[in-house]
Amino acid sequence: MGQLIFGQLLNGAIIGTLYGIIALGVTLTFGITGIVNFALGVFMMLGAYAAWYFTDTAGLPYPIAVLCAVGVTALAGLVADQALFRFTRNNLVNGLLVSIGMIAVLEATALLIFTATPKELHRVMPGVIQFMGFVLPKMKLTVFLVLLAVIFGTYAALTRTWIGRAAYAYAQNPEAAELMGVRTARLQTGVVVYSTALAGLGGALYASLYSLEPTLGSLFVLKAVEAAILAGIGSVIGSLFGGVILGVTEGVGSIYLPLAFRDVYGLVFLVAILLFMPAGLFAGRK
Amino acid sequence: MRFQNRFLFFALAVALLALPLGVKSDVVLTILVFSWLQGMLAVSFNLIFGFTGQLTMFHAAAFGIAGYATHLSMQHLGVGYWTGTVLAALFVSVLSIIVGTICFRFRLKEFYFAIVTLAFSEMARLTVLNWNSVTNGTLGINLQEKPWLFGFKVNDTVSWYYLSLVALAVTLLVCSRLVHSWMGRCFSAIRLNDELGDTLGINVFRYKLAAFVAGNFIAAVTGSLYAYYLGSLEPGFLSIDQSLGIVAMVLLGGRSSVFAPVVGAVLLTALPHLIHFSAEVRSIVYGSILILTILVMPQGIYGSIAALLRKRHAS
Repeated sequence: MGQLIFGQLLNGAIIGTLYGIIALGVTLTFGITGIVNFALGVFMMLGAYAAWYFTDTAGLPYPIAVLCAVGVTALAGLVADQALFRFTRNNLVNGLLVSIGMIAVLEATALLIFTATPKELHRVMPGVIQFMGFVLPKMKLTVFLVLLAVIFGTYAALTRTWIGRAAYAYAQNPEAAELMGVRTARLQTGVVVYSTALAGLGGALYASLYSLEPTLGSLFVLKAVEAAILAGIGSVIGSLFGGVILGVTEGVGSIYLPLAFRDVYGLVFLVAILLFMPAGLFAGRK
Repeated sequence: MRFQNRFLFFALAVALLALPLGVKSDVVLTILVFSWLQGMLAVSFNLIFGFTGQLTMFHAAAFGIAGYATHLSMQHLGVGYWTGTVLAALFVSVLSIIVGTICFRFRLKEFYFAIVTLAFSEMARLTVLNWNSVTNGTLGINLQEKPWLFGFKVNDTVSWYYLSLVALAVTLLVCSRLVHSWMGRCFSAIRLNDELGDTLGINVFRYKLAAFVAGNFIAAVTGSLYAYYLGSLEPGFLSIDQSLGIVAMVLLGGRSSVFAPVVGAVLLTALPHLIHFSAEVRSIVYGSILILTILVMPQGIYGSIAALLRKRHAS
């Protein structure tokens, strides 16, 4: 039983960091451009398939394939921003609907290209670590650590650099930020592209653990939005904790309750948080 | 209504009523039945979204739950189809009052309202999906019964055509009366600025709830008709895609008039049948239409044409 619970905790935490990295993108995009980018799930799918393509077909080593995948997703994000999202700044409903249109187009395209047959990556970094009688797959641990590093790195960059301070300034008062010399259009594009790159990274790492289907992003982005709201929109470290809380609840919950409840926890959290703590669990702690 | 408009209106009504006399193709009539039913959904959604300004994602749930509720009340209470539909619509209304009260009491707006109604809708879908003993889970339910109306069994496509057309006409009439009444003015006030409406003495909570319940009630009636026309029920009725499809119809048609969403509904329902696409290409076309409408034609087809005519009229 202890082994089972520990395993589910670990699984939940890893899935949770994946939720967290997308949630971070959701939070950043919402804070700076005022829209909720549901299409981040599609960018995650794109990153996952790109990683699969670069390792399995192009034969690159996995870490380089991940970097290439992130590059490809960021480029796609730039194109999407300049062609579409640029026109929906601060218009929540339009942004929502454009991102939904993008999901329809890109998911269907992926289905045409890659078919619905799940794709499997060759085992990256096989083997396990024995730790106090518990068994930890090495790859899961690596994914967990990489995602943690990226999220804390983003936090550090946002609090320690000029660009980060500009982003915070913009989130609080766009006009004042512009008057202080922040290039706001460039900042918005940058944040959208960075969010898509984060989603691509999440997808590329996901590819090393699970099999790939074109619809993998849809579920993730809903969970990420739940995590972002749970943490409180705008909170960077919070999005990590929001994701981990959600992932762990799902993991541990599925031991005690039927698996069918898995997708309900996040929805219940979401409603409860918005009703009773609308600023989120980590309100005020940016 | 000016004379010209009234004439156009009657011409359209006569043409639609006489259509089955000329058109014998079952395919065309079937597409039109689906279009009218989808049109009802879009019009009722627009009551909440276009006129009151609340982006609800609960519509698929109201639509799907009603189908199941009609079937269950017919099976377990031994009532006929129409009583079952009324019971289902009342059940959905009670659910909408609960969901609406929660959302509006806590003053959820815009995205937060959309995401919480989406959450309730998903909970409903997961319940339907997993409550196997009642809903038969993913397999769904086959509906053999057909409704009776004035001693006729509504069985063939032509009678369904008339039933759905009348249902759509009643929906349009009710919505247009509602929108042009004092209540409709309260809806507009809430859409434009609900805080200002509040200070002017409009009970914002009550009218938001009224619009939400009225829209879901019509969606419930549609759901019951749709399920019995199709002859089957499945959890996919409650999926997010269903709600998004409705949003797309309303945007494509236009959200500023009662009638406009029907245009979008007819186009989006008929298009995939007129041109034979694979499911993937259809999805790509659908997504592109959604994106293009928002970026190029934010008023929708009806709104754009109306604006064009106004400009011509003025010059």
